[in-house]
Amino acid sequence: MNKYSQKLWDAITSLSLTIVCLALLMVLVVACTLAQVRLGTFGAVSLYMRAWFYWMDLGAFRIPIFPAGATVGLVLMVNLVAAQAKRLELSWGKSGIWVVHAGLILLFVGEFVTGAFQVDGRLAIEEGQTVDFVEVPRHVELAVTDVTDPASDEVFGIPETALARGGTIPLRSGNHETPLTVRVKRYHRNVLFMNAGPTLPAVGADQGAGVNVAMQEIAPVTTDDRIDTSAAVVEIQAGGRTLGTWLASNAIESPQPFTYGGRRYELALRSQRQYLPYSLTLEKFRHDVYPGTDIPKNFSSLVRLRNPGTGEDRNVLIYMNQPLRYDGKAFYQASFGKNDTLSILQVVSNPGWLLPYVSTVFVTLGLLIHFGISLRRGVRRAGAAAAARAAQEA
Amino acid sequence: MPRRISWKTHLIAVACLLGAAACDRDEIAYFRVPKPAPTLAATAPAPAPDVAPAQRPASGGLRWTLPAGWTEAPGGQMRFATLKPPVLGKIDGSVVVLPGPAGGELANVNRWRNQIGLPPIDEAGLATARKVIQTKAGPLKIYDFTNGGKDGSRVVAGLTESGGNTWFVKLSGDAGSVGAARDDFMKLLRSLRFE
Repeated sequence: MNKYSQKLWDAITSLSLTIVCLALLMVLVVACTLAQVRLGTFGAVSLYMRAWFYWMDLGAFRIPIFPAGATVGLVLMVNLVAAQAKRLELSWGKSGIWVVHAGLILLFVGEFVTGAFQVDGRLAIEEGQTVDFVEVPRHVELAVTDVTDPASDEVFGIPETALARGGTIPLRSGNHETPLTVRVKRYHRNVLFMNAGPTLPAVGADQGAGVNVAMQEIAPVTTDDRIDTSAAVVEIQAGGRTLGTWLASNAIESPQPFTYGGRRYELALRSQRQYLPYSLTLEKFRHDVYPGTDIPKNFSSLVRLRNPGTGEDRNVLIYMNQPLRYDGKAFYQASFGKNDTLSILQVVSNPGWLLPYVSTVFVTLGLLIHFGISLRRGVRRAGAAAAARAAQEA
Repeated sequence: MPRRISWKTHLIAVACLLGAAACDRDEIAYFRVPKPAPTLAATAPAPAPDVAPAQRPASGGLRWTLPAGWTEAPGGQMRFATLKPPVLGKIDGSVVVLPGPAGGELANVNRWRNQIGLPPIDEAGLATARKVIQTKAGPLKIYDFTNGGKDGSRVVAGLTESGGNTWFVKLSGDAGSVGAARDDFMKLLRSLRFE
């Protein structure tokens, strides 16, 4: 190892780096907490914790001015691994410390897995209604649904990333094909709709609800209690000709129908849906308040879970802090509406949800092992000292 | 002797995994799903009740007189307002404004019929189903459709055009609930005006 490599290795493994990282994390936690007032939880966590850097906007360009959570977490993890490799010997005496370090590393890995793979969804269900899909409100999709079959629908969902890229998209997925092609002319994450006029040209839709409508792109919303009004202008083509151009938006409340080749289709820009191989039926929603007040005491949803694949058919009570965990998803009681007949469940899909628990067990176990070893060593030393004193006195 | 896998191989494997996860987000999803029951929540991809829409509409205002016990909440760009009648059960009142003819009267009426599971009608059926009342906001075309009798679904809706916009005032939900609120809703429709 040459001089520079040695210096770099010393820096990476230094305790100073650990302290600097912990201090940076404290600053980030305070800044993120304060920013939640302005940006909401999702916006603040995205900006301060899930990003590599905190950026300052300078109009035409932006510059990174502070390392964000991902950078600090990665550096801290590398520091932890390197320091362990450098200082700790592989022996039974240090086994507790090894387990504690493994737990801490697992905690960092868990946060990265959560940041990369967690999907937050929503399931709105009315009493008596059966729902077999989860919506992801932060992402939209252009759903083209073949509704010809009287018993079932064929849904093709074009994700937001493909809409944003634009171009021509043949409507097929795997072995499932349609004669339709979608040409995305425009897509904006958040817009303001207006009537078209002499100075404000229409979006160019000649079919559906968007004829003579103009739109202006605006900045995406950042707070938790609002959603973007997304819009796409799409031309549907089939058999070498155009069927028309539609404005699709999640502000348009119903799907827009069209036909081709004797088949009936519906077009809608909506929250991205994940269909489930099972269904939930809301049997009863309860919203209890403290007597004589409007202060909520309890929200709970009694749902019937039916999975044709496994033959399961059972009732589950979901209430505050008592989610239904099923098939890799956790269903939490989140909100309600419509005269207490509508229940809204937050649905979290996180492949790394167990990692923080495993990490905590590792750290606890490691500390117990280390304490046990130290105690044993101390007892032995005390015994040896007592024996030595006894020998001297004798 | 087992072959040792280098750290580079591990790195490439992790990169491929992340890359595959990223690519997957671009693919068209396909699902064959049973037909949803003709309820409002299943057919309306509107913003969630707990999520406030992005902006209030720029255009100005259709107004009405709320019947006793009714409440209203502001809506979003195209949903101008949400109306809440004092009846139990599934029911949703809305005032929606769309620029221009919004696809035409027939398409919108068939969209409402589709929401409660009724087949589309033609121009002749439209004329038969239409009832026109005079309001201070101009002539209002009213439609009333029920599917499934007293235990089914019902939609009562009025539409009027003004200033290049089409306004839709609609009450829909369980047939029993809509029936209980219908008289008051008709009073609300008769009170429509522009301010």
